[in-house]
Amino acid sequence: MSNYKEMPIAKALNAGLSQAMSANDKVLMFGEDVAELGGVFRVTEGLLDEFGDKRIFNTPIAESGIVGTAIGLAMRGYRPVVEIQFDGFVFPAFNQITTQLARLTYRSEGFLEMPVVIRIPYGGGIGAVEHHSESPEAYFAHTPGLRIVTPSNPNDAYWMMQQAIECPDPVIMLEPKRRYWQKGPVNLDTPPLPLHSARLMREGTQVTLIAYGPMVTAALQAAEIGAEEGVSIEVIDIRSLSPIDYPTIMASVKKTSRAVIVHEAPTNVSISSEIAARISNEAFYNLEAPVIRVGGFDTPYPPAKLEEIYLPDADRILEAIDRSLAY
Amino acid sequence: MSISKFPLPDVGEGLTEAEIVSWLVAPGDMVKVNQTICEIETAKSVVELPCPFEGEVQELLVQVGDTVEVGTPIISVSTQGASPIPVVEDKAPPAAAQEADTGAEYKIPTLVGYGDAGDVKSRRSRAVKAAPTSTAVPVAMVAAAAGAADSIIAKPPIRKMAKELGVNLANLAGTGTRGEITREDVIGAASQASVFKNLTTPDVPSEREERIPVKGMRKAIATAMVSSAFTAPHVSIFVDVDATRTMEYVKRLKASVDFAGVKVTPLLIMAKAIIWAARRNRMVNSTWTDTEIIVHNFVNLGIAAATPRGLIVPNIKDADAMNMIELATAIEKLAAVARDGKTAPEEMKDGTITITNIGVFGVDTGTPILNPGEVGIVALGSIRKKPWVVDDEIVVRQVTTIGATFDHRVVDGDVASRFVQDVASVIEEPALLLD
Amino acid sequence: MLQLLAPDGTYGVPKGYEKYGKLIEDLDEDTLKTFYRDMARIRRFDIEAIALQRQGQLGLWVPAIGQEGAQIGSGYAVGKNDHMFPSYREHGVALTHGVELMSILKMMRGVNHGGWNPEETRFHLYAIVLATQVLHAVGYAMGVKLDGKVGTGNPEEDLAVISYMGDGATAEGDVSESLLFAAVNESPIVFFIQNNQWAISAHIDSQTKAPLYTRGEGFGVPGMRIDGNDVLACYAATKLHMDQARAGQGPFLLEALTYRIGAHTTSDDPSKYREDAEVEKWKAKDPIVRFETFLRRQGVGDDFFDEVTEAGDQLAKDIREQTFALQNPPMENIFNHVYSDQHPEIDKQRAWLEAYEAQMGDHE
Repeated sequence: MSNYKEMPIAKALNAGLSQAMSANDKVLMFGEDVAELGGVFRVTEGLLDEFGDKRIFNTPIAESGIVGTAIGLAMRGYRPVVEIQFDGFVFPAFNQITTQLARLTYRSEGFLEMPVVIRIPYGGGIGAVEHHSESPEAYFAHTPGLRIVTPSNPNDAYWMMQQAIECPDPVIMLEPKRRYWQKGPVNLDTPPLPLHSARLMREGTQVTLIAYGPMVTAALQAAEIGAEEGVSIEVIDIRSLSPIDYPTIMASVKKTSRAVIVHEAPTNVSISSEIAARISNEAFYNLEAPVIRVGGFDTPYPPAKLEEIYLPDADRILEAIDRSLAY
Repeated sequence: MSISKFPLPDVGEGLTEAEIVSWLVAPGDMVKVNQTICEIETAKSVVELPCPFEGEVQELLVQVGDTVEVGTPIISVSTQGASPIPVVEDKAPPAAAQEADTGAEYKIPTLVGYGDAGDVKSRRSRAVKAAPTSTAVPVAMVAAAAGAADSIIAKPPIRKMAKELGVNLANLAGTGTRGEITREDVIGAASQASVFKNLTTPDVPSEREERIPVKGMRKAIATAMVSSAFTAPHVSIFVDVDATRTMEYVKRLKASVDFAGVKVTPLLIMAKAIIWAARRNRMVNSTWTDTEIIVHNFVNLGIAAATPRGLIVPNIKDADAMNMIELATAIEKLAAVARDGKTAPEEMKDGTITITNIGVFGVDTGTPILNPGEVGIVALGSIRKKPWVVDDEIVVRQVTTIGATFDHRVVDGDVASRFVQDVASVIEEPALLLD
Repeated sequence: MLQLLAPDGTYGVPKGYEKYGKLIEDLDEDTLKTFYRDMARIRRFDIEAIALQRQGQLGLWVPAIGQEGAQIGSGYAVGKNDHMFPSYREHGVALTHGVELMSILKMMRGVNHGGWNPEETRFHLYAIVLATQVLHAVGYAMGVKLDGKVGTGNPEEDLAVISYMGDGATAEGDVSESLLFAAVNESPIVFFIQNNQWAISAHIDSQTKAPLYTRGEGFGVPGMRIDGNDVLACYAATKLHMDQARAGQGPFLLEALTYRIGAHTTSDDPSKYREDAEVEKWKAKDPIVRFETFLRRQGVGDDFFDEVTEAGDQLAKDIREQTFALQNPPMENIFNHVYSDQHPEIDKQRAWLEAYEAQMGDHE
């Protein structure tokens, strides 16, 4: 009988971190405001008391410094987990992430391992000011040497955090901040899936709906409404953006012959662009319709009052599904 | 002792060529490793070149003022031991360019490496020609194989065409190299389907009845049918056969260089099968008269062709003497001529056995009526994916029904059965035609 | 500026710097000869490497000519557990810690991106993106402190980090962040700036308003300028401050004033932006020449110097032969070590390329 506990994503991340830090005393957690305050989203709450200031500590406000020193600590044998406080502030660290963290194993021909986890709350829908609602995943998914994952629910959050920390490669963990307080059951005994596996969330026959992170909730809503209207929608949460679990996607698309992909990020040169290209490559003969992408518009993220119109939701997803079915 | 040559290096400025500014040595001089032997000019800065070997200078291979391509040997030195620098021997020194033509584009120096390697000048040769069906090409190279068994395999433009022509892709067996439904498959189905399948439901006419005079072709067909049906005792037999290997064979012939430009369809294989079976069961290839049965030792193979004006049965004279390509060409021509309504009366006389292809109508089988003067007619039905038992397992195979009608005055049950079995055997295993 | 050995070879300890002088008095003649031998060796290596580049054997060479004093001096001052984080010109430091010179050549030739073992040699890989390595050095030092290997007094345990960078790199934001992190964490690290006065074509005067040794003051990192062409000053200053860092006194910054006698790289032409007169002026302050003068005054004779020259030529010959014998790396190297863990996309692409290459003719 598995041990289940209901909790929101933020708490599940916290619990996963705590587990990982208990399991290996080389795991460190640092970043801005993560210690006494427990992080601006409370994801690291209580860890300072549990592990002390040699395991979890604040840094100056210097994102490049946070990632650069994490690299040096990894060289020294530690497993640093760092937090970038908001998605829009990852860019000062872009140099260290892409030219160094992603490449040191390659550059050193395997002498150096980089078991660094970079946690970033991402995505919109929280009515924030500029630079607090970004979806920068494409920049990093395009960089060889990095792994990128994004849990959509508390169970995945709890387990993927631990799996990411165990991984010897650099992992960027994108946490959907608008879902931090969404509750769900966490199985405390058994991990659900390997870190980079996609999950079939809901079976269907007419179209495959591919989503990740904050949009998984919207995708499931769309499928529910679709069912009432007599459309059978299969929903996949890909969970990992680099690498992507293509076998699961292809098996589904070959079954349904139609694919719709949804994310918050602007569509141009995005994760959905890559998945669409791959589907066209590997499932060409099975497609009854072109792959349709639902994403943010190709503009900077708009002011909060326009956010609801900008972000994809169940209606925008269903509109795309209607278009797909019309072929 | 050997002659070592120093090819002009790329000194890392994206150099493809340089001008020789001065020589600091002459033939006969002894040179040491790293001794400066010349100065070259690159993008307006002068670089000294150190000699890579030690020995006596034999020849200065380029002159002051020459513009030299990277890789061109500039000096030869006789050295102890072989040169450590490989030189591509057929790169001859350039014809003396008296006007130093530095008209080449100005190249921005590269601080950090070898610089621009230049574009690929010509395609690398392919050691192994990748034939699409060759198993030598690894799976990784070839696009992923056709999808799950239960989904229709057709490229988007073909789907669009099928939709427009009202062809149901589910009824077609694809003859493409990966099992996909091709344009020809759709057109073949459509040309018949658009003529023989109801696409619309017309309005109810206002008159209570319409009277059509019986004359012309309709009268002729009726007369022939009655004469045949009510003179010859018709008996029909049917056999279902696994046509998968015929379909594979058709695919291979289509891909074959010898059959380029020739229309290959399952009908061609059926025709060959019938010709072969007729040789083995001669009675089916004969004509009844009240006094004698004329057994023909040739096959004039009739092919029932639907035309807009009605059904006609032109035949291919001496089809048994034709090879595959000739037969395929003849079938194609026959169909084209019939579609155009230009079939000559001679072509419709003296047939000895007939095929009627009802599969293109999407029909599985039927009980065809004998062509007057013949004692056998074979119906080729649709070829569809169906469950079949192979080695006690249910698998998906491409299955068709061969139906045949015979004149029981000439052909008894055993001959009829053997004939149909022979046709079926070929459809199941076309290699029997090698007999 | 700390100078113990003047350009004319005269040794003298200026008032106030006695603690540095003491460290030199502890050195025996063999050690001093080693300093000379290695300075001469690395210069000979450098000259050979430039020639090899001009002969098409290397894509690029980064000469360190003129900086031998700073590199050999500081290199030998580094403790036996200490870690070194270079930028891309510290061939002399590499030599002092047993990094194979051919490894550096291979990198510049394009065989790999830096093939030596950073853990084994404690000399980390060259860093091409300026200043990125300084943050790594600070992180490493933070780790050392978390490990408790600072200030225990046990020479087998304690460890400090030396972070090398050039004058140009100090402009990068990562250097400021490094000084900041090192200071607030009191990390056991010495920042060693080789101010060779030229960042490609930008003179140091255009890169900083305040002298570089004061760069750390705003962050709480004290600093000092030393004569970068004086191998003894470099040795003494590095040793003293590394010892202090190891003992837990926190970060320190050394600015070694030297000169880039050669070009930035073999693709650079300094005649476009600086005067020959300036180069001549600095040639007169050559670190190797002044040290030879000093040693001769100590009684070291021709036989030593001849032996060093001969050894240098032999080294050059070996390097030359090994370079010509280098093979291209195997195709799989494109795909190896992108990740430590297995990765399906890498596997797929490797398989694809193998299949593709198998059916193509040879590259011309």
